Amino acid sequence: MLKTVNLQKKYTTDEVETTALVNVNLHVKQGEFLAIMGPSGCGKSTLLNIIGLLDNPTSGEFYFLDKEISKFSERQRANLRKEHLGFVFQSFNLIDELTVYENVELPLIYLKVGNAERKQRVEQVLEQMQIAHRRNHFPQQLSGGQQQRVAIARAVVSKPKLLLADEPTGNLDSAHGQEVMQLLSTLNEQGTTIVMVTHSPTDADYAHRIVNLFDGQIISENVKELAIL
Amino acid sequence: MLKNYIVVALRTLRRNLGYTSLNVIGLALGITCSLLLFLVIRHELSYDRFHSKADRTYRINVDRVTANGPENSAGTPFPMLATIRASLPELTPATHVFNEEGGTFTVLSTNDREPPRKFREERPILFVEPEFFDLFDFETNGVNARQAIKDVNTVLLTQSIAEKYFPGENPVGRVIRMNNVVNLRVTGVIPDAPANSDLPYLMLVDYESSKTVNSFVTDDSWNSTYSNQQIYFALAPGASKTQAEDRLNEIASKLRDRAPGEKYRYTFQPLSEVHFDERYSNFNGRTVDKTTLWALGLIGLFLVLVASINFVNLATAQALRRAKEVGMRKVLGASKGQLMLQYLSETGLITLVALVLSVMFAELLLPYLNQLLELEIQFSIARDAQVALFLLVVLVVVTLFAGFYPALVLSGFQPISALKSKATTARAAGIPLRRALVVLQFTICQILIICTIIVHHQMEYFRSASLGFDKEAVVVIPVPSGKAKDLMALRPQLEAHSAVHASTFALSPPSSNIGLNTSFKYDDFSVERNYSVNLKIGDEHYLKTFNIPLLAGRVYQKSDTIREFMVNETFLRHVGVKNPEEALGKQLQVNGGQSTGKIVGVVKNFHLASLREEIQPVVMSTATSFYFTYNVKIEQSEAKAALAHLQRVWSTAYPDNVFYYDFLDDTIARFYEGEERQAHLFKIFSVIAIIIGCLGLYGLVSFMVAQRTKEVGVRKVLGASSASIVGLFSKDFAALVLIAFLIAAPISYYSMSKWLQDFTYRIDIGSWVFLAAGALTLLIALTTVSVQALKAAFSNPVRALKTE
Ligand SMILES: Nc1ncnc2c1ncn2[C@@H]1O[C@H](COP(=O)(O)OP(=O)(O)OP(=O)(O)O)[C@@H](O)[C@H]1O
Ligand SMILES: [Mg+2]
Repeated sequence: MLKTVNLQKKYTTDEVETTALVNVNLHVKQGEFLAIMGPSGCGKSTLLNIIGLLDNPTSGEFYFLDKEISKFSERQRANLRKEHLGFVFQSFNLIDELTVYENVELPLIYLKVGNAERKQRVEQVLEQMQIAHRRNHFPQQLSGGQQQRVAIARAVVSKPKLLLADEPTGNLDSAHGQEVMQLLSTLNEQGTTIVMVTHSPTDADYAHRIVNLFDGQIISENVKELAIL
Repeated sequence: MLKNYIVVALRTLRRNLGYTSLNVIGLALGITCSLLLFLVIRHELSYDRFHSKADRTYRINVDRVTANGPENSAGTPFPMLATIRASLPELTPATHVFNEEGGTFTVLSTNDREPPRKFREERPILFVEPEFFDLFDFETNGVNARQAIKDVNTVLLTQSIAEKYFPGENPVGRVIRMNNVVNLRVTGVIPDAPANSDLPYLMLVDYESSKTVNSFVTDDSWNSTYSNQQIYFALAPGASKTQAEDRLNEIASKLRDRAPGEKYRYTFQPLSEVHFDERYSNFNGRTVDKTTLWALGLIGLFLVLVASINFVNLATAQALRRAKEVGMRKVLGASKGQLMLQYLSETGLITLVALVLSVMFAELLLPYLNQLLELEIQFSIARDAQVALFLLVVLVVVTLFAGFYPALVLSGFQPISALKSKATTARAAGIPLRRALVVLQFTICQILIICTIIVHHQMEYFRSASLGFDKEAVVVIPVPSGKAKDLMALRPQLEAHSAVHASTFALSPPSSNIGLNTSFKYDDFSVERNYSVNLKIGDEHYLKTFNIPLLAGRVYQKSDTIREFMVNETFLRHVGVKNPEEALGKQLQVNGGQSTGKIVGVVKNFHLASLREEIQPVVMSTATSFYFTYNVKIEQSEAKAALAHLQRVWSTAYPDNVFYYDFLDDTIARFYEGEERQAHLFKIFSVIAIIIGCLGLYGLVSFMVAQRTKEVGVRKVLGASSASIVGLFSKDFAALVLIAFLIAAPISYYSMSKWLQDFTYRIDIGSWVFLAAGALTLLIALTTVSVQALKAAFSNPVRALKTE
């Protein structure tokens, strides 16, 4: 699915140079559920953003669906994003001016999916996320857990091959957090590859494999269920 | 996709209702003004464009260069048209148009029981030939107009005159008497002359009748012209204008006498320029300078620009709020182009709302504008393709101008930093540009303020400048031509009223559009001079009535013909006399040698016309046959009683005529009508520009204050005073006003100097004007800023800190 070779990321701002990622070699297979863990500031989000084609690495290679894409233009990356990727953020990032339904519909609009099919797919995913009864509400009218379910619905409505989640439970209490993890787990069982950043060991338990990051380097990996690989 | 854009747009607009309404109101104001100005400019450009031969129709003018400078006139010698018809067949159709500026009309009754009804008209009565209708395409409503004025003493009434003179009756076949000299038979009723024509007739009379109405017309010399006697013609397709013009001058040079060194040329003026060339008058009495139209267009553009700038400023300031949305859309795969399109359509939507509002405003305001400009402009977008097109262009241009940059900023956000939301990139976005735009707004406002002050000041000068004579409380009463004697006989009765101080019979008051120019010889009569003098005709009470001081000698004695002369200071300068006493007793000859007499007095200079013009050499004398006005200095506070008294006596002298009068200061004020209108327009539009600018500034500052609530809170906790908080926000804007001032001052100085050059007598542009304008802008800007800043300064710091 994706592979990084000696991935480096440096941030340069006025004289100060921060190296966020050092020689990261990561391989994620189709159908995997991967968790990335590590202390604050170690580069987890940076890595996720590069994997999510939201950012370019400073050096190194990055293969996504067997294509070397580290030098892709913004437009090419945008196209890959909308076809193959889904995102879930800690802070939900729903668009306040749109209703639940319209938020979930948005990726399909950008994918130019026809009207009828769009409606059917949105309804289906809203049912699946158990949020259909709130379809005409605006994000502010929902609880955090509900908002995150909408965000997940939006991330998966386009049937992405890869779902990226940056601390999806970070803003939720544990009960709602478990609900969300349950959903992600189900999606993974249905075939979606997931890469998730988390601070919570409980959440990490849902993953097949955990990668530990420290100061921009992968220091350990532990594989939970070898059988799946 | 578009539906989604519009839904989001509407919700965003509703959520930011405050900013949205600032934008919409500002834009609507700007577009309203530009729409109104568009209508005005289009109206002015449409004069006489509706005739099918308009593109090859000309008027014959005379250009003459004399020692007094160039003299231009649209008048033609009376025999010219006959010559043209005989020798220049390519000038066809050609017609005389003789204008009698109003007159007295008596509607003769068909029976003996009713007394005749009398009317006084002040607008053009045109005397034309049947060819008039071959040349011009005025609406005749099925009347065969050509046939109707074929015979002598026939008249075509316009609809409104017909309704006024013959309410509920059929005027055709009835008789009206003009100026008590000629009976005219009504042969038809035609629609009123269109508002956009410089031939604004009340009636069309057959040309032959003009000879009875006006004694000038019987003159068959090539040497005199009368500016109300004009020739219009169409040049045959393919014929050369220059060749025809040369030929006419060649023929004319053999027919007219030539003064030595005189430069004289007949020129063909395209009909399309009759409305704009201020060197020649037209029968509308109003020409429009094309630069004025350009200036109005520019102001319209400015106003839309200022409003659009508000838009750009508020939108970029708000960009931060929308960063998250942009970021998320990008994460979901929206391309930059799609995002730009989204924000542009949002701008388009706002502009559309503003556009609808401005059409409503414009319809509401148009009557007032018409009143102010004395125009009759109408519009309805439903039936007016040009207006619709104009609005469409405004929609597209404003949307692109106002929306493009904010769209670029927004769509350019990097998704990750945008999602982090506190993104510094978003905050920094557009700050230098925003400043530049605010400077541009201030510059425009200051230019308008400076121009307004200067124009206003010059107008004040027109009103208050000493003209060298008293214009207050002077009534000018026309006297039927050639009949002054009847009223002169009643002078004792006329003056026998406590409110009547002095009175004089004269050709015209000192400043007047009516003047006689004559060649002259001075002293030993040996020197031929190639310039003329202005001959002022008035009786021996002229100086006293107008309070014109005498410098040397005495007032001429009472006489029915030219016998003695007085001259002005300019005259002395022209003939090279330094000491006024020196001129006394010298011989003077005017009217081509017909009248000779001695100079008995020298008067102080007084203004002969508007302050646009220089004071000419003047020769004054008596001549009863030229007394067309009776001028009375009255007691202002008893004007009503004085006028009633004058009317009573006047009517006993002229029982068949209609009494009317003008106050001299009103007549003089009318010299500056054009400028007065400009001054008004300037005032209105500067105020609107300032309002629009303030709306934007207010929004921008309130936004900045909202953004810096936390900073203000922290500063207050640390002990900052309210004044220092206001200063925090004001400092920036004060600097911008200053920069704008440095740009605006030279631009407005330059353009206003040019404008003032039109006036020989004008104000100096004092530096105080600029300082006042700068200070005013600063005051307005700082007040606007302070209103918002004070809110922040007085807010509870604890609350401010909590919200973050
Ligand atoms: N835009 C940026 N400019 C400069 N430095 C950055 C930028 N983004 C991240 N960094 C730096 O890169 C390093 C890694 O940041 P990153 O956000 O990936 O950490 P993280 O592991 O996600 O931390 P957290 O658990 O707190 O979210 C940090 O030291 C951070 O300061
Ligand atoms: Mg992070």
